[in-house]
This record gives sequence, C-alpha cells and structure tokens, in this order.
Amino acid sequence: MSFSRRNFLIATGVVAASSSVLSACSSGDTTNNTGGGGKQEAAKANATVVKIGTAEDSKGPAPEVSGAKKGGTVYLLNDDDFSHLDPQRIYYAWNSLAAMVISRTLTNYKIADDGSMTLVGDLATDTGTMKDGGKTWSFTLKDGIKWEDGSDITVDDVRHGIERCFANFVTEGAFYVQTWLTGSAEYRKSYPGPYGGKHLKSIETSGKTITFRLSEARPDFNYVLAMHSYAPTPVKKDTKQDYDKKPVSSGPYKIKSHVTDKSMTLVRNEHWDPATDPIRNAYPDQFDFTFGIEQLTAIDRLLADAGKDQYATSWRTIPQERIQKAQTEAKDRVFEQLGNGVSCYWINTSRVKDKAVREALIKAWPTAGIRQLLGGKVRGDYATGIMSPLVAGYESQDVWGKLAKPEGDPKAAKEILKKAGKSGYKVVYAYQQDPQQAKIKVVIENALKAAGFEVVTKGIDSTTWYDQIGKLDNEFDVYWGGWSSDWPTGYSVFQPLFDSKNVVDQGQNYSHLKDPAIDAAIKAATAETDQDKANKMWAALDKQVTETGAFIPDVYMRRIYMHGSKLGNVKMDPNFDGSMLYKMYVKS
Amino acid sequence: MLRFLVRRLLGAVITLLIISAVTFMLFYAVPRDPARIACGKLCTPETLELIRHNMGIADPMPVQFWHWLSGIFLGREYPGFGNCDAPCLGYSFVNREPVLATILDRFPTTFSLFLGSSVVFLVFGVGAGMLAARKQGKATDKVASSASLVASSMQIYFVGTLALYLFVYQWQILDQPGYTPFSENPGQWFAGLLLPWLILALIFTANYTRMTRSQMVEQLNEDYVRTARAKGLSGPNVFFRFAWRGAMGPIVTIFGIDMGVLLGGGMITEKTFSIQGIGMLAVKSATNNDLPMLLGVMVVTASFVVLANIVVDACYALIDPRIRLA
Repeated sequence: MSFSRRNFLIATGVVAASSSVLSACSSGDTTNNTGGGGKQEAAKANATVVKIGTAEDSKGPAPEVSGAKKGGTVYLLNDDDFSHLDPQRIYYAWNSLAAMVISRTLTNYKIADDGSMTLVGDLATDTGTMKDGGKTWSFTLKDGIKWEDGSDITVDDVRHGIERCFANFVTEGAFYVQTWLTGSAEYRKSYPGPYGGKHLKSIETSGKTITFRLSEARPDFNYVLAMHSYAPTPVKKDTKQDYDKKPVSSGPYKIKSHVTDKSMTLVRNEHWDPATDPIRNAYPDQFDFTFGIEQLTAIDRLLADAGKDQYATSWRTIPQERIQKAQTEAKDRVFEQLGNGVSCYWINTSRVKDKAVREALIKAWPTAGIRQLLGGKVRGDYATGIMSPLVAGYESQDVWGKLAKPEGDPKAAKEILKKAGKSGYKVVYAYQQDPQQAKIKVVIENALKAAGFEVVTKGIDSTTWYDQIGKLDNEFDVYWGGWSSDWPTGYSVFQPLFDSKNVVDQGQNYSHLKDPAIDAAIKAATAETDQDKANKMWAALDKQVTETGAFIPDVYMRRIYMHGSKLGNVKMDPNFDGSMLYKMYVKS
Repeated sequence: MLRFLVRRLLGAVITLLIISAVTFMLFYAVPRDPARIACGKLCTPETLELIRHNMGIADPMPVQFWHWLSGIFLGREYPGFGNCDAPCLGYSFVNREPVLATILDRFPTTFSLFLGSSVVFLVFGVGAGMLAARKQGKATDKVASSASLVASSMQIYFVGTLALYLFVYQWQILDQPGYTPFSENPGQWFAGLLLPWLILALIFTANYTRMTRSQMVEQLNEDYVRTARAKGLSGPNVFFRFAWRGAMGPIVTIFGIDMGVLLGGGMITEKTFSIQGIGMLAVKSATNNDLPMLLGVMVVTASFVVLANIVVDACYALIDPRIRLA
C-alpha cells in the first residue's frame, strides 16, 4: 500500500514559488529566525482540536457568522486552475477547496471560529455506526438532500461514487477505501468499476442506509469518507471522463461556466437546502475565479484594493517580497495560520545504519539557517516530530533538543561522531536542482562539515525528485521531504511513513525504517476503537519514531494570505490550507 | 492572382509540414521519456501508463508522427482521457482537453490584443512618421524621432508593470486589464484591453514611426515625386497619392511579420497583464512540460506567420501597381 502527499505538494509548491527572490529580501517578520532559544509556543497555540460529533452536531443549518449577510460576488485570483473537479479524481488540497462547495460527502468537518474541527455527518445523519471492531460501517442519508437538478441524492449515488474509483480513468483520487473494500492493493483486478453493470459485494444498500464491509478494521473509516474521492456521483448523470469538466453539484453552488486555465464561475444551487447542512453558510451569490494571474500580481491587486479587487482573495500565500508591505499597509486583511504540512529531511536508514551518525546529523542540522533562507518565521514553526499540531492527539515533545539550538550544534555532533568512531563520515546529500535549493545546500554543507562530516552533494532534476528519492536503492543518505495527513488522525501519518511494509520501490517510507517495535505500535493504534486512546497512542508514536533518528524535523509549515477590504470572515481551512469559500461573506 | 495564391498556399503547407515534423522530432526525440514529462509532477503510475499507451510511445518515431498528422484529418481517440475530433492537433494530458479546443478558446483574446494594438500603432506610428517626414529637420521631426528612439528602447515588462502600478493600482484611472468577449460587453472589452493595447502599441509605434519617416523621406526625393510636383500637383496630393503609396511596401512587409508574431501570442504582454491568450498558453505549456499543447501552439503560431506573409505578398500588388504577381 502506498500513500500520498496531497497537501504537502501544494505546500512546497507555494514555498518554491514564493521564494525565488528570497535571498534578496529581508522580511521584517524575522523574529526567532536565528540563534538559539526558539520556542514552540506558536505551534502549540495553533494545535487544532479534532473531535467526533454527534447526530445533533450533524444537523443543519450551520451556525451563523456574526455580521454576515447573503449576496454579492467573490473574486478569486489564482495562477493555477483546479486540476480536477470530478470528485473521484480529487486528491490534492486545492481541488478540495472548490469541492467543498460543490461536492458534499457522507461525513465532513464542521470548523469553529477558533479552528477546532468536529467530524459530523454531512450527507449522512451522523458520523456512522461502527461494528466488528471497525470492519463494518453503516451510514444513513439525511432527508432533503438533492442534486443540482432537483433529484434526490440516493445511496445508489453514494455507492456509484465509490465504485467509480475503480474505473480505469480514475487514476488520481485516493485509494484507501478501494483497498479496504477488496482486501487488495491491486483492487482493479478484483473489481473493474461499475460500468459493466456489477456492484461491489462489500457495499450493501437498503433504503437510505449504506453499509461497508471492510477487509480490515478501520476505526477511523468515518474520517476517510470525508475525502472528496468518496463523494457521491449521480448514476444517471455520470459522463465518465467528461464528468471532470462539469460535475453535478450536491453543495450550495454549481458550476455555471469553466474554461480550463482561464476562468470559472460558481452560482447558487437552488436545490441545496441549508437545513441539511451543518457545515456550510454559503453567503455570497457567486464566485468568479480567474486563473493565470501571477502570485505577485494577485497580491499587488489585493494590496491596491481597488474596484472588484476589494471583493477578491487568493489561495496563494503572500510572496516574501510583499509580506512586510502587506503586514504594514493591510494588517487587517492579512491572516496567518499553521498549515498541516510538516517539512523534514529523511535519513536513509538502509544506508546510514548507525544511530549515532543519525543523531549527529540531527544535532548538526542548521534548521534555523534553512528557515531563514526560506523566509523566516512565516515559513513555519520549528518542528520536533513528524505529527502536525493539526492532527488529533498532537503532543509537544523535543527529543533532540532542537528548540534550544535550532541553528544546529556542531560541537555536540562532533562529539557524538568521535565517540562512535565515525569522525569524517561521508554523507551524500541529495537536493532539487533549483536556485533556492542550491543556496540551502551550501548552508547544509557548511554545517555538516563544521560537525566533522565529509559531505557529497547530488543535484536532482526537480521534475523527477520523488521518482529518484522513492527508489529503494537510491544512493543518497539525506534528502528533503515531508508530509501532510490525508485526514487528521495519526494513521495517515505513521502507517505510510514508517510501516516496514512500505519499504518498497516508490513507497512512502522514505527513510526505509524497518522497526518491529514501530510496526507493532502502528498496528495497536490502528486497531484501537476508542479514538481518544488511539490519539494518545499516535502521539506516543510521534516521539518513538523521532527517537529512531529516521528523519530530521524541519518546520510545521505556515500560511499567510490576504483578501480585499469588502470581504468578511475569510478564514483558512485547516484541512486544505486555503480559505473556506463557504464561510466568507461580502460586506455591504 | 489565383495561381499565385494556390502556389503560395501549397508552399505554406509544405513549410508547415516541415516545421511540425522538426518540432515533433525535437520534442519527442529527447533522451527523457516524453510520457513521463507529459504526466507532470503529480504523476501516478497508472496515469503514466495510460499516457504512454495514448502517446504510442512503443511505436517508432515516424509512426508516432504519422498518427499525429493523420489525427488532423481523421481525429483521434484517447482511451481513458477522451475523444479528439478532427482537426485534432493532439491531446493535452495536463489540461485533459484536445489541444485545438484550448487554442481556439484563447485565440479571440490574442486576436483582440492584436487588433486594438495594431490600430493604435499603425495610426500613431505611421502618422508620426509621415509628420516627421513632412516636417523634415524641424522641431516636430526631432521630437518624433527622439520619442520613437526612446520608446523603441523600452521593454514591455518594465513599462507595462510601471503603467499597471501607476494607472491601475495607484491612481485607479484605468480598469484592471482583462479580456471580456466583445459580443458580451463591448465596453468592458475596450476598457479591459486599453492598457495592454497602449503599452504594446508604444513599443511598436516607435518602429513604425522610424520606418515610415525614412521611407517617406526616401520617396519624397525620388524623381517621380519631383516630376509630379513639376507638373503642378498639389503638395498633399503628391505626398499622399505618390510618396506615401511608394513608401507603403516595406511598412506592409514589417506589419506582415508583426501580424504573424502578434497573432502567435504576445507572450510578454499577456504575461505582464495576466491576459489568457495564446502567448500565456505557450508559456504555461512550457512551464508544465505540456508537450502536445506546446507542439499545437507552435504549429498554429507558425501557420499565422506563414499566412501573414502570403497576405503581405498579395497586398503588394494592390498597393504598388508596378509589382505584378507572376
């Protein structure tokens, strides 16, 4: 089984795009950038509480936003179009930001003003009923839920959406549920999709209830079903691969027009009933997206705040060269928040087998210097583990004392190497060949040399980066990477990254860690049906994997956005690292 | 005239065939896997396999080119992606759309940009050049010549960005550049394109001013102009009927080249003003390694240049009766 990095690619893309001129800039927002004493208070303050809601929490309408009113048009200025809108083909976060108002799912997250999340029934009456220790799950659909043409959303549509995930043209969506429904990672061999007229035997429908029989216990299955890959698709309106161009809406807005890479207009779906929806407020009448606008241009327009741009926002972070100006001139229109991406540097444990060497690498690592090059504090808070503060159960820890010395401790590293008899150890550091990474490479090289390592650097074409580092026999010792969880429980962090089953070619266990104790801990936490207990177990696992020295923690990544003066309640979705369309409103 | 056009069109077809073959070879004969490039950064093994199959990577290069070429007349099917009806210039695996459909969608924007800016730079450029020639050696001539020298040394990415900052962001006297279809709202179409027209025209005007002035000065010193004057024809009559007509040839030639280039997409202009025309499409395709789209844009752009040259050649006969199309 392999997992992916849906938000993380976006996160890193944003960083790459915004940092091309970082070396020439010195942000005013550089507190705690260098030197010791960096504290983790920010990450702690932003840690999101995730809980499972009741049937009552799943009832609509969504709580009103104070001062908000209906009406108006919101303008979105973005450089890239959505890569997919067919829910089954949605995996990456920025697509989900749009899907949140078009494609409802069985469950989803109700996000409070303080950023805390409650998993609730979206199309379902509650968050599902679990049996057999998590192997059987049932969901019942609400009354009054309709497609944009006015027809009812049925359990057949829910089943059809999931069965479409098996079709040969759906190659981009998530694949967790398919694997669990068939018991095989090669799920297409077990079931070819719904177009031959056959249904999956592991899904049963009766009236308004749909039941899933899984091949393994999945106590957090209700979290997984919040992914848009598992949204329903109307059986009668399925246009197969063409569905991507104009999916049928079940949410508060529908697509009026969409020209790839150019523009998209969303208008109200009159068949959406707010009384069935506990999550979405849907205040604006319309959303106009314009694509192809450079990040810098978009922010300049938002800074100028003229005409229609007063009603605009962007899903791109503010580029480094405009952060100071934005924070000075438009402070009340700038919002900064912790995203769910965690940046780190993997240590290839199949090559660097000596734990003392890994410890020396971690001690010597110039985290502060790297962060400074990437924009300082706005880049993120110093990380101490791999579990994001936005994942349920997060607990602060600092196994390696990196918060005290984020700039690195060459003296301590040298001492560790000496003690282990590994002075002058040759480290092969791989990096993506772009100007920004070239600068970072120099900082890392100098820091490791100062700690007594011999450093060999290898540049890799950025387009094949993941292909190269994903090779089981890659010839690198340390390489950059990171993670964003697909849903906010520990399973989607630790199983893909540290289960020894994933030490395969192009697998997600990039550190190649094979540790029976870790495997056992993952298995135990996965099987735990009490979510509170499971969360505690995942938090303990965060400390346990950090102690193996399989990775060098870098930062919990941050986001900084801005919007026009005539928009209210523009807030970031902690799941998808972008603003929530369904909560913002147009001011009069 | 008909024979001339038929002959030139046949030549154009051969030229385009060579251009497309060379471009195809360059793109697809690179040492890297073109399917992997087309698949992009967010590539899954399954998507890659589908793209490989659809691109016919296993086939020899000439067979791949033949499939691409025959698709223009017969259309092609891309299992797992969609159909591409004739004329099919390929399928973008990044956009998940037939290449031609995307190009046709962007064309009105690029055409509008070309149309408006052409009107501005032809009127002002040729006008200023004529004025400078008429007032040769006087202050008007010196001002026009100096201004054109300054303008021709400007760069769109500099002047455009500055103009955006001043006129749109700072003083807010011009609309945010953008494209609205003329049929939808002529007023918005004009307002959204005004700044790009003016900036693009500023650069081009300078060339036309200088070209027109030098051609007019040359023509005004020709014997036939002196003869016309000696015969008692009025100054304006000589200037417009004789000298101006004689000077038009080289200007039309330059305009023909510019027309091809501008219809192929003013990349820097479109990028500066975030206008989604063919130029931006080319830039985006190059950035995304979208080879099928890039190939389609190259072929269409080359077609514009070739066709513009045919139009220019045909125009010669109309402008200058001394030229006969044999």
